[in-house]
Amino acid sequence: MLAIGFLTLLGIVGSTAWLSEKSSSYFDESNRSRSLRAAAVELRSALQSAESSQRGYLVGGNEIYLAPYDAAKAQALARFDRLKQLLPASSQNVAMITRLSKIIPEKISEMDRTISLKLDLQDSQVGAVFRSNRGKALMDEANLFLSSIIRQADDQLETLLNDQRRNATLLRLATIIGGLVIVLVVGGATLTVFRYAREVSHARNELNVLNLSLEDRVTRRTAQLAEARDRAELLVAEVNHRVANSLSLVASLVRLQSNLITDRASKEALEETEARILAVASVHKRLYSGGDARFVDLQEYLSSVLDNVEASMRGQGHVASLRYELEPLKLKTDSSINLGVIVTEWVTNAFKYAYPDKPGEVRVRLRRLSDGKAELAVEDDGIGRAEGPAKGTGLGSRIVSAMARSIGGNVEYVAAGKGTVARLAFSASLEG
Amino acid sequence: MTGWLFILAGLAALQGVERAAAQEGPAGLTKPVILPQFEPAKPRCNAPPDLGKILAFAQDNDRKFMQGVASGLQLAAKDRGMEFRLARASNNPARMIEQIKGFLTEKVGALVAAPVDAASVAPFLQQVIWSGAYVGTVVPPPAVTILNAPQYLTGKVLGDEAAAYIKSRLNGKAKVVLLTHDSLQFLAPRFTAMRDSLKSIPGALIVADISPLTVDEAGGAEMMRTILVANPDVDVVLGADTVVLGALAALREADKARATQFLGGIDGEPAAVDEIKRGGPYKASVSLASPIFGYAMGQHAADWLEGKSIPQAMDILPKALKIENLAQYEADTADPASVYQDGGRREEYLRMYGNICYDTRDQYLNFPWSSERR
Repeated sequence: MLAIGFLTLLGIVGSTAWLSEKSSSYFDESNRSRSLRAAAVELRSALQSAESSQRGYLVGGNEIYLAPYDAAKAQALARFDRLKQLLPASSQNVAMITRLSKIIPEKISEMDRTISLKLDLQDSQVGAVFRSNRGKALMDEANLFLSSIIRQADDQLETLLNDQRRNATLLRLATIIGGLVIVLVVGGATLTVFRYAREVSHARNELNVLNLSLEDRVTRRTAQLAEARDRAELLVAEVNHRVANSLSLVASLVRLQSNLITDRASKEALEETEARILAVASVHKRLYSGGDARFVDLQEYLSSVLDNVEASMRGQGHVASLRYELEPLKLKTDSSINLGVIVTEWVTNAFKYAYPDKPGEVRVRLRRLSDGKAELAVEDDGIGRAEGPAKGTGLGSRIVSAMARSIGGNVEYVAAGKGTVARLAFSASLEG
Repeated sequence: MTGWLFILAGLAALQGVERAAAQEGPAGLTKPVILPQFEPAKPRCNAPPDLGKILAFAQDNDRKFMQGVASGLQLAAKDRGMEFRLARASNNPARMIEQIKGFLTEKVGALVAAPVDAASVAPFLQQVIWSGAYVGTVVPPPAVTILNAPQYLTGKVLGDEAAAYIKSRLNGKAKVVLLTHDSLQFLAPRFTAMRDSLKSIPGALIVADISPLTVDEAGGAEMMRTILVANPDVDVVLGADTVVLGALAALREADKARATQFLGGIDGEPAAVDEIKRGGPYKASVSLASPIFGYAMGQHAADWLEGKSIPQAMDILPKALKIENLAQYEADTADPASVYQDGGRREEYLRMYGNICYDTRDQYLNFPWSSERR
């Protein structure tokens, strides 16, 4: 649209320049035509003046009539020379000039002759020349050509004037059309801007409405999700609570059973089972009392498990002491249960087999390793881990192996001085 | 050519009037008067006594125009039971005088004359008038009935035809050539009338208003060649038939003749009529129907001999011959009796003025009469 406006403006400027050039050309041509016309009119006027002077003298015989004769004759000849210079070259004009070149001298000669005869008082000869009508015929013929030349100049002037008028009309038309186009372009541009602004405003309003609607929906959805989450968490906590209670109940049942059993081996087996059940139950207690059921704070969980195990072991008469160092670490719930069972096994074994009859220290350490793994280690300074078959039923070792495998852990038992170090390296990632 | 011969005759009449004054008998009306319209119902007079029922025609020459007059006269004589006598002078004034003398001796009842030399013939015509006979002349006085052609009207008829053509066929624009007649100033009213007609058309531009050196076809052609040098394209050419025919030849020679041009002449020359019939640039020729006015003069002669009142003067009205009316015109001139009997048609050709009869013959016209005199 801007290009159209620019081109239109360019067109108007171009037309104006073109018209100016044409006007200059018209001006020159008009001047030439005017000069030509003036020369022809003045020639005719001079001839008529001379003829009038001659006729006045011939009729009246008074030489006063001859006063303007010579001047008129001279002017006629001068104007004729000028006419010859100005008349454009064409076959018609050449023919007219040729004829005028004969007529004018003959006319002047006829006038000179009659005046001369009159001066010589030869009136009869003057009358004869006069009656021959030759003078009038020559003048008529000269007038025929001069009138044609005057008309030619008039026609040329009229043509030039009409051309100029037509060009001016064209320019006026071009300017008006150009102006209209520019007005249309400006109007179009303004309309486009207004329309664009209105569309933008409309879009902004629609977006605002959508945003408000979306925010409302999000708020409502968020509230619904929070509600759902709260319900789910409540449900999970309730489940864990019930599971923990059930496991505690089972552990109590196992303890009641073990209290009734006299066989030492069976009694120990039931006590170990109780410890294992309590270890698992401890997790569920943490789960229903904690915020997030997916993960378990190991520092908190394992502390509870170890306190329970130590209390249980003391209740059974073991005298070893327990010390633990647990770095803050979170692990998935399933993996945490496995770790709780494993640490229960290892600490129980240490109480029972590292220090069978004398006090000692059992140390539990949980730490984060540098390669994204963590290590759980149980150390004692007891009698050491003898080679050969496992003490007890061997169930504890199988449980440890199975649970370590399930969490992708690596178990190793290392003799350290007089005691033993049981270590489990496992992934500390919360993803696994 | 017919028209200017009318005028020549009129001029010569002035001299004739002076000579007649020396003869016995009334001089007639020698000072110009304006004649009223002819009244056919005027009372009868006495019939001229002792004159033969003879209609004589003193004819100047044998040109076609005069042949028409003769045929009209002859037909009227036959229709009215008169004997017709024709005497051709072959442009010889003396012979014409002798012929008139003969008619006087013979006591003809009526004489129509187309004088070769009006001045020399006039006294003898007066003698015929004094004898009580009817004397009609084609233009010059003296006569009991003068036949004239109105020059201004003649030119006006042609000018109006040209103006109408320019207006209707040339979109009101035309370059016009007027071929005038400097040697006969009495024809000037014709060209005045043409200029007057053209004034009504603003787009009609007279590019040449000039007289050929000689008033014939050669003069017209030569002048047209000169005019074409100054004005290569002309649309209208007006003048006498002969010069316009010459102009047409020059136009054809220069390959400038077009069927859309309007060339018009005066006199009804046969060559011009032929051109009109061909449908080319020649569009009109103003003609004077000589058989019709000849027939009317013959009728007036018979009426005179019966003592009836007849016109003192008569205009033969110019008629523009065009391809549309040529056939009707030729039919009218071939049967002038029908035209004369039909009042409406007669008025298309003839206009009559004044009343005169045998008893009032001293009121004969003895001055160059024209209905256009003001």
